[in-house]
Amino acid sequence: MSTTSPSRWTAIGKEAGRAALALVIALIVALVVILLTSTEPAKAFATLMTGPLSSNRTIGLWIDDVAKLTLTGLAFSLVFQARQFSMGVQGQVYMGGLFAALVAMSPLGGTAFAIPLAMIAAMIAGAAYGIIPGYAKAKFGASEIVSSLMLNYIAILIVNFLVRAYLAPAGSGQLATQKFPDAAIFPSIIPGTRFDLGIVIALVTVVIVWFLLYRTAWGLKLRLVGHNPKFAEYSGIRANAIMVSAMTASGAIGGLLGAVFVEGRAFGNLSVDFDGNLAFEGILIAIVARSRPLAVPIVALFYGYLRQGAQLMGLRTDVPSEMIGVVQAIIILLVASSFSLPGKKALGRLFGRERSPAAAMPGEAK
Amino acid sequence: MAPLLQAVSVGKTYPGGTVANDGVNLSVMAGEVHAVVGENGAGKSTLMKILFGMEQPDRGELLLDGKPVRFANPREAIDSGIGMVFQHFSLVPSFSVYENIVLGSEPKAGIKFDRAKAIAAVRELSERFRLNVDPLPPVGQLPVGQQQRVEILKALYRDARILILDEPTAVLAPQEVAELFVAVRSLVEQGRTVIFIAHKLPEVLEISDRITVMRAGRTVGEVMAKDVTEQSLATLMVGREVALRVDRAKREGELVCEVKALKIVGENGATLAQDLNLKVHGGEILGLVGVEGNGQAELLEAVAGLRPIADGVAYLNAESLGRMSVLQRRAKGLASIPEDRIAQGLATGASVAENLVATKLADPRFVRHGLLDLKAIKAHAEKLIEQFSIRVGGPKFAVGTLSGGNMQKVVVARELAEQPKLLLVNQPTRGVDLGATQFIWRSITDARDGGAAVLLSSADLSELLALSDRLVVFYRGRIVAAFINSEELSAETLGTYMLGLAQQEPETMRAALR
Repeated sequence: MSTTSPSRWTAIGKEAGRAALALVIALIVALVVILLTSTEPAKAFATLMTGPLSSNRTIGLWIDDVAKLTLTGLAFSLVFQARQFSMGVQGQVYMGGLFAALVAMSPLGGTAFAIPLAMIAAMIAGAAYGIIPGYAKAKFGASEIVSSLMLNYIAILIVNFLVRAYLAPAGSGQLATQKFPDAAIFPSIIPGTRFDLGIVIALVTVVIVWFLLYRTAWGLKLRLVGHNPKFAEYSGIRANAIMVSAMTASGAIGGLLGAVFVEGRAFGNLSVDFDGNLAFEGILIAIVARSRPLAVPIVALFYGYLRQGAQLMGLRTDVPSEMIGVVQAIIILLVASSFSLPGKKALGRLFGRERSPAAAMPGEAK
Repeated sequence: MAPLLQAVSVGKTYPGGTVANDGVNLSVMAGEVHAVVGENGAGKSTLMKILFGMEQPDRGELLLDGKPVRFANPREAIDSGIGMVFQHFSLVPSFSVYENIVLGSEPKAGIKFDRAKAIAAVRELSERFRLNVDPLPPVGQLPVGQQQRVEILKALYRDARILILDEPTAVLAPQEVAELFVAVRSLVEQGRTVIFIAHKLPEVLEISDRITVMRAGRTVGEVMAKDVTEQSLATLMVGREVALRVDRAKREGELVCEVKALKIVGENGATLAQDLNLKVHGGEILGLVGVEGNGQAELLEAVAGLRPIADGVAYLNAESLGRMSVLQRRAKGLASIPEDRIAQGLATGASVAENLVATKLADPRFVRHGLLDLKAIKAHAEKLIEQFSIRVGGPKFAVGTLSGGNMQKVVVARELAEQPKLLLVNQPTRGVDLGATQFIWRSITDARDGGAAVLLSSADLSELLALSDRLVVFYRGRIVAAFINSEELSAETLGTYMLGLAQQEPETMRAALR
């Protein structure tokens, strides 16, 4: 990317404009929802817009979200670039979290090796869990969407069962393990907040994924398989092997996210249902970022802000928390609809003609 | 006499700025066969889509019977008596012929589908217009020529006064073309009007009364068929003199590829080709003749490693290809220009540079220790863009932004970047304009002169006759005839074997198979 063609910048500008537009519309809808449901709409909207910056603690919450959203966004981007619609990140997060917790709770948990070992264990577990839908697809033609979704439930329920039955302190009836030893919990970057090692791990992963995709032969093969699997086969690329390896690498990132969850300062232990469905929001991140790894953290930054603002609004004002879900869903809807042609046309009509010629430029539709 | 259907300075710009039509004028008289010719990308298809209501013109207007009309969708065009037969049929293969024809406008008895009436109506239509086809068998079992008749009947059943045929002869053998023309003439005799899109000029001259020539989105002329020759029409189409001639092979090299008793079986277990025996020598082009779907494409795919060989052997330089991967075959000097550049030959979303290097990802010039050498990849792309005069903004542009001819040049450039030993070519110039066709032909003959053995398959018999040194004819998965190319060999002769109407003596065949 030393020489960047002009079309690339216009494409980036257009994509950014599209995402910004979705954001603005979502905010307008959020405002309407707030006006309809809140007795003090000004305060609620102000909370939504400025809440995450209100204290070091909330900044920490925001950055923690950004780190996790970045990782799940990367995991999805990787499989999306190979045009595999594996939805298995959530299951990989649970498997990764489980194995990271096992390391942290073992005698090794108190040593300096705790964090790296737990991360490695989590990545291996996630990768192993990622292979399953890939192998099933390559070998038996099983749809990766279905198999990976089902595997998510299996992973969640296994982890929940293990926590309740074995890992939580006996007889306590708790739904979580005890806190890990300090050596097994990420050090914070801003003391007293969740601004911890997680964001560093996420950013390093961004660079690694970008490098793998755009600087290695494996990455080029993966992208070619994603563009056109028949072409890949014809060129001598073993499309099935690449597909499985993409799902495996994505699984490793999912597993790593599991480690970031349980070892981060937000938890520091393994509890049931710990991901709060955040893993799935990586789909949104990957779609808005067009599966570009370098765009993922930027999207995560904005989306994480909105997400945190919405949660703070739910906590601090009288806007019902269900409405937050509505606003989030609207963002997803807006972004997803600008994908398909009818949506594009409708948007073009709504926002005048100056958008439409650029919107349908050939050759860049994902 | 006022024209039946008229397009007046029609313009159409696609989103993204492609000007497909720019001041196109067309006037079609009632009861004539009106051909619209032009190179690919001249805007013929766009014009037809506008006439059929699939696209809306940005400028200009359409007049039907002298009155301005505007079709928002094909339904409205059909209601106004316009029917269209696309190159790719829209038929339900498992439905019978008559069901396909009446689909959507079924005759009813009460609320029940009146099958007897439908069959009778189809019989009546097919007799009246000399479009012989049995109404009862499922469409999927019919040969392509018959399926096309079903499409035409479908339009006639909906009372089409004006019938648009989009490159109808592209999929047909010469004899089937003759039958189609008989039907077209009978349509015209009975007062129907036919608009005929084509790029094979001899056919155009044979069937049409008047010809509208399009070039680069504009109409450049309207001529009477009897006033022009093939050469003058070609010049009008391209805008300059063209010469489509190819020199024969000068020398013949050693045996490069041999196929022995090869059998190919499809995924569903059906035999696609069997008992294939042939030899190709370095420096010669062997043409594989046959109506599409008779085993030629399958043979090429099996040799290329994209299809398993069920039985028999294929040798490249005396080594059996059977167990080799695609990459191993390519390393032995195999190159392949596939049938469909968009479906198989390219990744349209990827850049030109990435497409050009896709087959060389095990080559230490471009990949070392798993890392891409971006500089070398870029230099490689720039060299080939220059060498094959591919019109593109630069190596980083997505292949999908190129025109059809330039896309095909990317494929050809990649496959012929190095002199191959065995070159497999399938439909090298389908949907490619004349200028690029000349270029691609020359690239293939250059590879041949460099010593490559070439296996060439094409739906265009004139292309096969122009390029091949020897030809073998496929029929139902077998080689039924073989010829040494000469001036005397005609498309009609090949056609009789392509349709299984004639049998060649085994000795004659063996002599030509060498």
